[in-house]
Amino acid sequence: MAKARTSQRKSHRRASARKQRPPHSPEMPPFKDEHILLIAPGSETTLAQLGLPETFTPARCRFPTRMFPAEKTGEYEPYRIREKRQQVKVNNGTSAPEASKEDVEMKDATKPGQEGAANAESAEKPSGEGTEAEKANEESTQTVEEVYYEEDVASDEGAIYPMENGRIVDWPCFFALLTHIYNALSPPFHTPILLIAEPVWTARDREAITQFVFEKFKVPAFSLMDSALAVCYGYGTSTATVVDVGKGKVDVTAVTDFVVNEHGRGIALEGCGGDAMTDRLVELLGSKGFTREMCKQLKRSNITEILPPGTPLPGAAATARQGANPATAASTGSTDAGNESAPRGPGDGTQTGTEGGNGEEEGVLDVAAIVSGDTNEYLANIEKEKSTTKKGAVDPKQPRLPNSKKEKASFQFEEFVQLEEENAAASGSKRYIRQSREIEVSVERFLLTTPRQQTGDRLSNMILEDIATQIHHTILAVPDATKRSELWDSLIIVGNGSKVKGFVQALLGVITQKFILSPSATIFTSEIPSAFTTPLPTGGTNTPVSMGQPGPMYHPAAHGVNPLLVAATHNNPGMANMPPGTPSMDPNAVSHYRSTGHSQNPTSVKTLKPPEYFPDFKDQGNLNGPGASASGVAGSGPGGAATSTPGSHGMEEAVFLGAQMAAKVFFVVDQGLSKGYMSRVEYNESGPSAIHEYTV
Amino acid sequence: MNPSNPPQAAEYGGDEVSAIVLDPGYSTTRAGFAGEDAPKSLVPTYYGKYNADGQEKLIFGDDVFVTPRPALSVHNPVGKDGIVEDWDMAEKVWEYSFTSRLTGAKPGNPFQNGLNDISNDELPTEMEVESDEKPLADSPLLMTEPGWNPAKAREKTIEIAMEKWGTPAFYLARSGVLAAFASGKASALVVDIGASNISITPVHDGMILKRGVQHSPLGGDYISSQIRALFKSNSPQPITITPHYLISSKTAVEAGQAPQAKYKTFPAEKAPDASYRSLLEERTLSEFKECVVQVWPGPNKLSATGPTGVSNEETARTWPGRPFEFPDGYNQVFGVDRFRVVESLFDVKAAIPDPDSPFPAPTSSQTIPELIKGALSGVDVDIRPHLLANVVVTGASSLLYGFTDRLNHELMQLFPGPRVRISAPGNTAERRFGSWIGGSILASLGTFHQMWISKKEYEEHGPNIVEKRCK
Repeated sequence: MAKARTSQRKSHRRASARKQRPPHSPEMPPFKDEHILLIAPGSETTLAQLGLPETFTPARCRFPTRMFPAEKTGEYEPYRIREKRQQVKVNNGTSAPEASKEDVEMKDATKPGQEGAANAESAEKPSGEGTEAEKANEESTQTVEEVYYEEDVASDEGAIYPMENGRIVDWPCFFALLTHIYNALSPPFHTPILLIAEPVWTARDREAITQFVFEKFKVPAFSLMDSALAVCYGYGTSTATVVDVGKGKVDVTAVTDFVVNEHGRGIALEGCGGDAMTDRLVELLGSKGFTREMCKQLKRSNITEILPPGTPLPGAAATARQGANPATAASTGSTDAGNESAPRGPGDGTQTGTEGGNGEEEGVLDVAAIVSGDTNEYLANIEKEKSTTKKGAVDPKQPRLPNSKKEKASFQFEEFVQLEEENAAASGSKRYIRQSREIEVSVERFLLTTPRQQTGDRLSNMILEDIATQIHHTILAVPDATKRSELWDSLIIVGNGSKVKGFVQALLGVITQKFILSPSATIFTSEIPSAFTTPLPTGGTNTPVSMGQPGPMYHPAAHGVNPLLVAATHNNPGMANMPPGTPSMDPNAVSHYRSTGHSQNPTSVKTLKPPEYFPDFKDQGNLNGPGASASGVAGSGPGGAATSTPGSHGMEEAVFLGAQMAAKVFFVVDQGLSKGYMSRVEYNESGPSAIHEYTV
Repeated sequence: MNPSNPPQAAEYGGDEVSAIVLDPGYSTTRAGFAGEDAPKSLVPTYYGKYNADGQEKLIFGDDVFVTPRPALSVHNPVGKDGIVEDWDMAEKVWEYSFTSRLTGAKPGNPFQNGLNDISNDELPTEMEVESDEKPLADSPLLMTEPGWNPAKAREKTIEIAMEKWGTPAFYLARSGVLAAFASGKASALVVDIGASNISITPVHDGMILKRGVQHSPLGGDYISSQIRALFKSNSPQPITITPHYLISSKTAVEAGQAPQAKYKTFPAEKAPDASYRSLLEERTLSEFKECVVQVWPGPNKLSATGPTGVSNEETARTWPGRPFEFPDGYNQVFGVDRFRVVESLFDVKAAIPDPDSPFPAPTSSQTIPELIKGALSGVDVDIRPHLLANVVVTGASSLLYGFTDRLNHELMQLFPGPRVRISAPGNTAERRFGSWIGGSILASLGTFHQMWISKKEYEEHGPNIVEKRCK
């Protein structure tokens, strides 16, 4: 009973507190643009940024959403730490290996500081750290066993992924990741945090995060923003259907007037994300020697495309390449120059034949050179080389056909391979090299959303169809029926899973095939009564149309139709002969129009145009170049660590643009007036559960 | 407090939890935190059962509408009369309704599995939840029940809440009473038009008048069966509803023309059960109800003759029809028929006969006017006018176009003397979640706290305490 009493008193107190809470405590100094921390956790990559730039950019920092268990249980490291015991042969005393060992440890200790200062480079740096001890390979006389710890930045072995399909599955690890990000960006003291919340998080999850953020980071203010709403902010719209195609799941959310409709929301629809497409490619190509990593990169490459429903595949008698044998068309033939069969397994030597004779160092990045020398210059040179050789080699051979007409095409596969011992010995350090080679793929590259053979436990298994059905379900569940056609006309498709070329068009195609109503069902052609009278003003003058809801006359679905007809069909004749004196009927007169005075949906479906005033957020159509595909490979190498790759991510990460906009509005412009964030004063007063009043 | 100082650990109380309000219905189950204005969680009470890799699996929530599963069948733990039949599954569905969006499944205490090793002193100890991992260990629970819930079912409910979910405090309230509270009334005649039942609940001073409670099965599902009967007898050809999951694409056809759609086929051993198809057909039917179906607004019945000598049906015929397109592309304009499918809620003679319907032909005592008459005759004469002046309409099926107009006319015809006042919230959410909202208000009232049945009291008196305390 005591417990019950407490909770009652509490909720009562909260109810009163809600009314009289001051918008902003007067002593609180205003927040500054440059001192706002934004974090958007995702199952694969967590985006983060300290400060709002002059013009909003894609997230400056990208952290793989994973941690590695540290030696002590319950603690986590951002990189894999490997304990290594090695028989080290020592030449002329032990001085050399020990020096290098010390060196490593020192780097470990100073790491957080370094990252804070220059996190962009920190990812590259550790790759040079694994350098020790190889020196000792020369002939020697003594043998000493060395135990040392090595940060292995290229490995994700043993990693713990705290989020799965948006759900937080490992709380300590998730909190450790937040802490790592916080430390890496090391914000000054008076820095509020805006965290993007996954739709799947429960109310209790949000409370736990709120508590952690306030008590661990001692932030002055905290805002937890729904990801779908952030996307709406990014697009500058109040009403939209947000389809977020993630790694393993899809979220479909209807947002009306900046309110997320929780009922009917498609939350963490599994088996519909980017992984499902990779799985399909593995299924198609696995027998041909493709690894999962290859399929992943193939998916991200610009030759992979989802064709709109009904488009014929470039057939066996395809135009581009004569003599292509249909039987071998599916095989992964090699490049034009006719090398022996690609693809090779990883670690298959350091040289790969690309473009015939130009094989020597193409695609092999000398990481040591990057670390020691001028990175930009080095990379620029490589790029230049690449583009010149490519142009020379490819263009004359193939007639310019759109990708969708070509039966075969090839993409650059990049992988990180640890250099073999003898190579390493030569330069005195362990190195990773980035190999790149060209792999040719046939029409499989168009089939990544086709139903899988291994259907698991679903029947449809065409991911586009599942997403389309979910959109239909979600919009149909929106209680305000007058908003539904607007929702159909404002689809926003975001998430890195949607980056595959043609995804959006194909999804719209499926929706059109399955759900769009035929014109005859939506136009009031038949049964116009001959005794047609002027429609009466519905409900009379005492019908307040509350909340600014447009009446039936302005029904958006009715565009293009004679308004008289619409009015007539929506007219409620009962109201005309209703005897006076029942004023209490008024409220439900309003409800008629809101609940049932509408016609069926959808008559059309459209995607919303992204805002153009943020040049750094490019339209996702431009993003399918090989450059973009490589940078997103979190977990395959140093590039996956906390590097920033501005420019390579566009509107599919509109959530981050929205986060910046919202942060600007909540923390700087409104200074708390919009209840966009919870301040520490309020936290101390009401505890973490009060965050729900601020969940925007 | 100077905000530039870091907060002291555990500065706030640490046990700030609000009650959970759970409103289980026949077609949907609503759950949310007390004090909020709409339930955060709305899940179908239906659940799916299917076989995958030789294992029987269950699915809950909206997912069942979106992705068909092999050999999926759909079940409902609640019986047609609104009383739970399958307690094991009811417990699971209800549990899903609050764990999915509110409390989480609690796979262990997040603050005890590792993090505290790092920052033991930084996290307040109060946050460490009691060691038992029951889903509601820290939230009081208010549940709703229909007015005719038998004592056995009530005891079973508190048993689940206390023993399976571990709630520290519990209360069971009548949904009719709560709907009255949601309209801000302590005394009211609550007309609840649900999916499987319509019910009339007289409420006086916050107490249910049990002798007056009336219910009948003419709810939303009955209206669906009438629509199906209409489709069967449709001319020129009968209409079959093919749900979206069976259609891969459709082509636009003219109104009344045979559909041209590509259908999907499933191998026999994988095809979903008929119960699944019927659930998804119900989705289309509810869209039909929203867009097409209309209640003859009155005065008088649809079959009666209007004041000008023209029969009401003729008048209704002159009104423009409403078009509707089915998932397979078939579309048609519905004229006067759209009134006929709901007319039997008021006029039993108007029921469209259908020998295959699971609903037996309604009797005249099941119609709304008769139920209201019956409810009023079961209560004291003195309070009847008071109840009639406070008629509260709730339930999603009451959102049918023109329903409240008709109800108003019927009531004025039945009770010409007293002043009849209908209050029906205009906001669809308020209408659909009337009893949940009432529960949300009740559970957050400061004066309510002595009403809770605490765990200790339950342990002392056993489940029977619910009969004594929740009247």
